[in-house]
Amino acid sequence: MNQIHVHCLGVFREIGDGFDVEVPSRSVAAIRGAVSDHLMHMGRSDLNDVLKRSVFAEGDELIKDYMVVEGSAVSVLPPVAGG
Amino acid sequence: MKLFTENRGEKWCCGLLDGPCQTSELDAYVADPAHGAIAQFFGVVRNHNEGLEASAVDYDVHPELALKAMSEICSDICSVYPVRLLLIHSRGLVHVGEASVVIAASSAHRKDALGAVSDAIDQLKVRVPIWKKEIGPADEQRWLDGHSLRKD
Repeated sequence: MNQIHVHCLGVFREIGDGFDVEVPSRSVAAIRGAVSDHLMHMGRSDLNDVLKRSVFAEGDELIKDYMVVEGSAVSVLPPVAGG
Repeated sequence: MKLFTENRGEKWCCGLLDGPCQTSELDAYVADPAHGAIAQFFGVVRNHNEGLEASAVDYDVHPELALKAMSEICSDICSVYPVRLLLIHSRGLVHVGEASVVIAASSAHRKDALGAVSDAIDQLKVRVPIWKKEIGPADEQRWLDGHSLRKD
């Protein structure tokens, strides 16, 4: 298993600034699934709809679900609303 | 302006700062003796949204990604319009009446400056990792929905 730290941004900060997930592979898809499970565990299944519209980033790169992460931390980015 | 992070190109500057944006003397950032037009846009926090009162907005930002996206927007716009361009956004708390985003563009003729400013704010809203938490008069808080960056 791989431990990945997930930094929270936007509405995901309602569950904290970040949390760790255990994933069997380093794929973004696996991390997305683990984050979804974490939201359920936290009693925030309502955020799963937001998660489906969210992207992940590693450093200053957006990463797609078929990609794998190189490091041990990612950010989860909900839909943006600047301006 | 005291930017905590910024990036510059040959003809543009962008950055992020804590708190409200300065709205005066922006022309100095884009001044060019060959340019006869300066257009400015201020995005200002308003006191209502979707039927609810608001007293402030707390902006959350991914600084590295936001600066990268803002730099790409500036570069894209300067490749389309012959302008000098400034693009600044706030992080943290901005109260009603204060500016959270300022954009200034100068060009030889007005149409390019106006077009550049209009495109810049349109692009900022859909490409830059920034999030709004609206704060009401009784300190009630709600995150606003926005535009998904997901493309897969």
